[in-house]
Amino acid sequence: MMTLRERVNVPAYFQFAKKAIARESTYKFEVFTAIGSVLVRVYLFKTVWTAVYAQNAAPTSLPLHAAITYSTIALLMGLILDIDQTRLLHDKLHDGSIASDFMKPISVPGYLFSDGTGEVLFHALLIVPALVLSLFFVHVDVPPPLVLGAFALSFVLGYFVGFFLNFLLNCIAFWTLEIHALQMIVTWVTDLLGGQIVPLIFFPLALQGVIYALPFAAMFSTPLLIYVGEIPPSRYLEVMGLQVLWIAILATAATFVWRAGAKRVVVQGG
Amino acid sequence: MIAAFRAAADVYGQYWRINLLTALEYRANFVMWMFFTVIYHATSLIALYVVLERFPSMNGWDFRDMFFLYALWMLAHATNNTFFSTVGDIPDHVRDGEFDRFLVRPLDTLFQAIAIPGHITPDELILAIGTFVAATIYAHVHVDALFVVMVPLIVIGGACIDLGINLAITTASFWFTRVDALRWTVMQLEQEFTRYPIGIYGKGVRLALAFVFPFAFMNYFPATFFLRKTENALHLPPAIGLLTPLVGITFVAASYAFWRFGLNRYKGVGH
Repeated sequence: MMTLRERVNVPAYFQFAKKAIARESTYKFEVFTAIGSVLVRVYLFKTVWTAVYAQNAAPTSLPLHAAITYSTIALLMGLILDIDQTRLLHDKLHDGSIASDFMKPISVPGYLFSDGTGEVLFHALLIVPALVLSLFFVHVDVPPPLVLGAFALSFVLGYFVGFFLNFLLNCIAFWTLEIHALQMIVTWVTDLLGGQIVPLIFFPLALQGVIYALPFAAMFSTPLLIYVGEIPPSRYLEVMGLQVLWIAILATAATFVWRAGAKRVVVQGG
Repeated sequence: MIAAFRAAADVYGQYWRINLLTALEYRANFVMWMFFTVIYHATSLIALYVVLERFPSMNGWDFRDMFFLYALWMLAHATNNTFFSTVGDIPDHVRDGEFDRFLVRPLDTLFQAIAIPGHITPDELILAIGTFVAATIYAHVHVDALFVVMVPLIVIGGACIDLGINLAITTASFWFTRVDALRWTVMQLEQEFTRYPIGIYGKGVRLALAFVFPFAFMNYFPATFFLRKTENALHLPPAIGLLTPLVGITFVAASYAFWRFGLNRYKGVGH
């Protein structure tokens, strides 16, 4: 049985995160491609928004400069939020190495979280060059410090919603080993219903009702609408409360599914 | 010559038999990937619908027009995916050394690499045909003899453009072993850039999409012709949209020449 001291062996988890950063940074070509892809899409979104705003009556909310800012920030957020931080769990279930991890004096979900965070921190570094280069094509609005702070907090909450969603998804691999297609489906649905591609306030009202009842909006849309000022400070408590609620629901579900899944590993004999 | 052709046809028949048997064997997986294909195209079309409901015109194109534009691209792209998606697996064969075995066998190297069975099913093509028929009706495209004759040729030409890009990226793997990220990014950008009438882009991008990476010939130029729009991106006569088969064949021939060039210099990755 693991002692509490072993379970909270913080330096070990830092090492896991550091290892993940070192691993990610070896794929230099992928890094350049990821940044290049963001830049090309920043150009694409700027062009599309400029064209439709110039040729149609502008909507009452979200003027052109805010729409361009929204899309640019959304693409940069995607560098982090589109990563599947817990893919390692799926891989380890596939090759069976999860069995030996259970024998180590660590908390396996904690290990997965550290590894995922390391990967995410590395990708977070990419935001800097991607943002700087984007500024050659587009003007990005910078909100006042209070709004920026609220955005940062909401973004962190959105990250955790995404983490638990991915974790739940990867836990499915305890029962059925092939989940790649399902993950791709969830990524695509998240980008659309989370408001990364098109701001959710542009969706028909009937659809908006359904979309806001799903967890995806808590990942992209909430921080983004805070950033561009569509969500005023008076509603911060409400929208971030909702994000926290989603984290609580998904974390609870993840705990149950993880326990049930971990038991299966023992039953199978590893 | 005839014997060689018969051998190739036999291999190709077996290839499809194994593909379909694999789909039957892994039924749940097959259904999930089919579902993904639907989601992949549906999310693009929904995003397009939402934008055009809020802003009804993009360079004079409405949602009906752009649905047809998308469906034409989708049909050509699905044709390439169905028959030539295995081109994208070649870098894996190069990396694990299996590719070297193709070099000493009596059939064409590229043909052998294409005919390796995998999880390939014609579901996307069937979906694309259905979508295209729906879009043609929805956009009130005038269907005449020219349309019926030219659409299949344009689709094949468009698939050749897709194949040309894919083969060029694959050939790059002779020098740089890992090209997955590049392929994935190019595919994503292709889908996003072909979604809109190219007149919205800056001059340089318009020219690139027409003559360097000729994606505009996959859907924009032919759609302009069939929808009877005025071509105002590069001010070319609308009938240029009928040249897609020619552009496709030229492009894939150039790409194949690059493949032969790479193959002649290929030394293996050291197995």
